[in-house]
Amino acid sequence: MNLVQNLLAAHNLKQAFADRRNKLYRVAYSWCHSAALADDLVQETMLKALKNAGSLRNTATLDTWLYRIMLNCWHDHLRVQGRHVELFDVSDDKIPEHHETYQQVQIVDRVRDAVARLPMSLREVVTLADFAGFSYAEIAEIVDIPIGTVMSRLFRARKNLKEQLLDLGNDESMPVRLKRVK
Amino acid sequence: MNDMNFTDEKLNLYIDEQLDTDEMHLIHDAMSKDSSLRERICQLKTVRELVGIAYQSPPAPERPRQQRLHRATLAWRGIAASLVLGLGVMLGWGTYELNPLRTDGSAAADAFRFYAEQAAVDHNERKIILHISTDDIGAVKAALDEADTLIASYRKANAALKMDIITNKNGINLLRADVSPYVDRIETMVHDNNVSIYACERSIMKAEQREGRKMVFLPETVTSKSAIELIPERLKQGWVYIKV
Repeated sequence: MNLVQNLLAAHNLKQAFADRRNKLYRVAYSWCHSAALADDLVQETMLKALKNAGSLRNTATLDTWLYRIMLNCWHDHLRVQGRHVELFDVSDDKIPEHHETYQQVQIVDRVRDAVARLPMSLREVVTLADFAGFSYAEIAEIVDIPIGTVMSRLFRARKNLKEQLLDLGNDESMPVRLKRVK
Repeated sequence: MNDMNFTDEKLNLYIDEQLDTDEMHLIHDAMSKDSSLRERICQLKTVRELVGIAYQSPPAPERPRQQRLHRATLAWRGIAASLVLGLGVMLGWGTYELNPLRTDGSAAADAFRFYAEQAAVDHNERKIILHISTDDIGAVKAALDEADTLIASYRKANAALKMDIITNKNGINLLRADVSPYVDRIETMVHDNNVSIYACERSIMKAEQREGRKMVFLPETVTSKSAIELIPERLKQGWVYIKV
């Protein structure tokens, strides 16, 4: 491959990163629940990805590679902050979009609160699966854990969320609102 | 079939379609006959879907959009330029001697054309920032060698080239009249080759505080701006950025 082809490949890669930026941001937000931090994580991920583009052997694995970089950035951040404790602070970002109904906002807030209460290892896996739509094998690759561990974490995460969100007989649950969710 | 035959772990695998076809069919059939199993599966799916919708529209970052885009653009261009530089070095700057503007020859020239298009550089004149933030002798010498090669090849091709050498951090030492080993060489570049030289105002201030004395720079050195002001300014105007 000559230099121009290399550069074109680099250009395509850059475009591919840009195309994925929004989704990366949403996943980053689901981990940290801070808009500014999520933005920083994505920014850092993009920079690291471009810098290390040579290590991407197979473009078919671009997504898992990118999310793995972002997860590492996130873990680095947690290490620097010296806290592996959970982040509960979701209160800053509750301003509803114009198109959202109050009820939808309530549901979204409640789910985000519930996700924020999950242990980090469960939170990462459940958002990669249920929001980002990765397969178990892909999550295993991103998080660098066995598939069995992915299954187990996903199971525990959903069980926890189900208890927080769906258990009947609790006034704080939202069986009525769930009817709006398809 | 009683729904208790299926554990929640199994049902999780079912909703994620991670079971083999036989097991998928088995649960599907059981579900059609068992309302409590249907409810369990429905709850699991609901949880999954709730997580799916909870982050569809996260709040936008608090930083002003302009500022973030600016930072991103700078970073992208910096990385891209570093990539170009790296590839150029890898293939050898000697290729520049052919002709930096030809369309079918020098790979390095093609690289610059590619980047120039990316950065919307004025094709009538190449504008290049050489950003030096180190006083490592080897790195500085390599940078000046590269700058000389570029200048020579553009001159040979009778093409216009404008170059700014912007220094900050320890890189400012390159432009100090009293300590730089490259005073004559830089003077020649400035006087003969349309090169401008800049030392970051903030870096000078910090260095002077550290050393406790006033620094003396080559007379052509512009010292009134910081690198962080200068570089984005030029990038907006389409200059090619090369970080040493």
